[in-house]
Amino acid sequence: MDFYIVVGIGIAANSIAVLGTFMLTGMNGLFSLGQAAFMGLGAYISAILVVNVGLPFAVAILISMLICSALAFLVGLASLRIRQDFFALVTFGFGQAVIAFFQEYVSVTGGALGFSNIPNLTTPTLAFVSLAVGIFLVWGFRRSHFLRDSLAIRSNELAAKVAGINVFKHKMIVFIIAAALTAYAGSLMAFHTRYVEPKMYGWITTVTWIIIVFFGGRDSLTGTMVGSILLLMAPELLRFTTAYRIILYCAIILIIINVRPKGLFGTWELSIKPLLRLFKRKKQEVS
Amino acid sequence: MDLIEIFQQVINGLSRGAIYALIAVGFAIIVNVLKFSNFAHGGVLGISAYAGYLASSQFNLSFIPVVLIGMVTGAIVAVLVEFIAFRWIRMQKGQLVYFFVTSVTMLMLLEQILVIRFGSFFDTYPYDLIKVKFINIGELSISVTYLISLAVTIVAFGLLIYVFKKTKIGIAIRAASNDMTTTSLMGINTGMVIIAAFVVSGMMGGISGVLFGISTSLSPQIGQVVVKGFIASVLGGLGSLTGVAVAAVALGLIEVFLVSTIGSGYSPVVIFALMIAFLLLRPQGFAGVSFTDKA
Repeated sequence: MDFYIVVGIGIAANSIAVLGTFMLTGMNGLFSLGQAAFMGLGAYISAILVVNVGLPFAVAILISMLICSALAFLVGLASLRIRQDFFALVTFGFGQAVIAFFQEYVSVTGGALGFSNIPNLTTPTLAFVSLAVGIFLVWGFRRSHFLRDSLAIRSNELAAKVAGINVFKHKMIVFIIAAALTAYAGSLMAFHTRYVEPKMYGWITTVTWIIIVFFGGRDSLTGTMVGSILLLMAPELLRFTTAYRIILYCAIILIIINVRPKGLFGTWELSIKPLLRLFKRKKQEVS
Repeated sequence: MDLIEIFQQVINGLSRGAIYALIAVGFAIIVNVLKFSNFAHGGVLGISAYAGYLASSQFNLSFIPVVLIGMVTGAIVAVLVEFIAFRWIRMQKGQLVYFFVTSVTMLMLLEQILVIRFGSFFDTYPYDLIKVKFINIGELSISVTYLISLAVTIVAFGLLIYVFKKTKIGIAIRAASNDMTTTSLMGINTGMVIIAAFVVSGMMGGISGVLFGISTSLSPQIGQVVVKGFIASVLGGLGSLTGVAVAAVALGLIEVFLVSTIGSGYSPVVIFALMIAFLLLRPQGFAGVSFTDKA
């Protein structure tokens, strides 16, 4: 049973990062190739603050989220006004730069050997409650005009601009929220695995999250979360050699995206409305 | 740094940049025709690098056959990738982002195939593939590997320019990258054109894979060098292969200079800073074609 809880915490923490990618790539169509670097920053900053400086866990997480938001603001300032593929390029460069920094600033980060001796502070309750709050937050965004603005920008930026949406501001807000969510996920992961190293936060990790979002369906929050749980759990369930496992994983993704390009769930969302309708009908039948 | 040393670094940088240019042009051909970043190009590159490695280490072939084998493998793998990952989505007229997702998945898949066959170790091409290692001119010592890869790149580019300017299929590819719908209305079989584009891009990928494998070392992660192609093709400007090649050579030169001055560690940080500075000063890219999204 213990094993499942440990795996579950990892999945919950990573799912929070997937939520960030869902907002950024799924809802707004912004491809950030350096999203994992924010996870790395969150993990390193909070771990260093707790282990070396001795700050409380919660304060360290808050500081790491603030720093990541500020960095996201700066990166966004340079890249969000120009073309979409420049955003991908600049975030990619940012990710590489952050990893280089982790590897070279040995006296603080431990370099390529990684940073260890992090206390295990991520309790199962904390991880699962955080994920629930994260989902609630994104769900709230999807219920407001925020979702419509996002979809407008995703499908035609120029038209959105003409319709009076402040495209730059909107994208900036999304990017900052995504960065903060990812940093939070990074802190949770660091205090769960108790060890961080630069290699974990390369662009391939970012791409894995993007794949998860598209696998589950980028128009469906439910789909993304189900996809996230399935695909993050798959490596634990398929316990044979690593290489074959990844090949199987890739094959599944290719099949799903080829057969159902809209993703596993399309635009379908889990909601309680059909259930309520069922109740109402029963009441009518009774009366 | 004295003059000799600078000259030395320029030659190293040029040969590194030439390989990047091959990677970038192979990448940019697909970007131009299908309008998405084809990261699977890295997988094509990796497989052909290992095919060349097998040909040279198992069958003791000489340099030119090895390059040719890399080229043919690249073309075959690129077409296979098109069949597996892109054809279905193209038939269903799916959005461009799906191509991106499947292409990255293909990159991971091809990388793992290499891990299964060769293990995740470093290999090198046999040393006697290129006999003399250095030529000395005065104080200058130039690696023959670098010179040969520079020469092969120039030949490959010559062929590419010939194909794109003179042959029917090349002109068709250029037309399709300008406007796919009009091209198909003109009676050109766009399905064939796309396959031809993948063949050409795969050949470029194959050559660059073999050359990159010879000038550095082989590991299954070799395909991730495709990001250099991505950087160059964005910086180079949309729709211009020349701009892409220039950007790639510049990238190679800058990288080599950075490694020789501040070391490889912090060079990604400097490259990031340079990239932002470049995008702020010249958002239209090297080629200078002004372009707005969907305007």
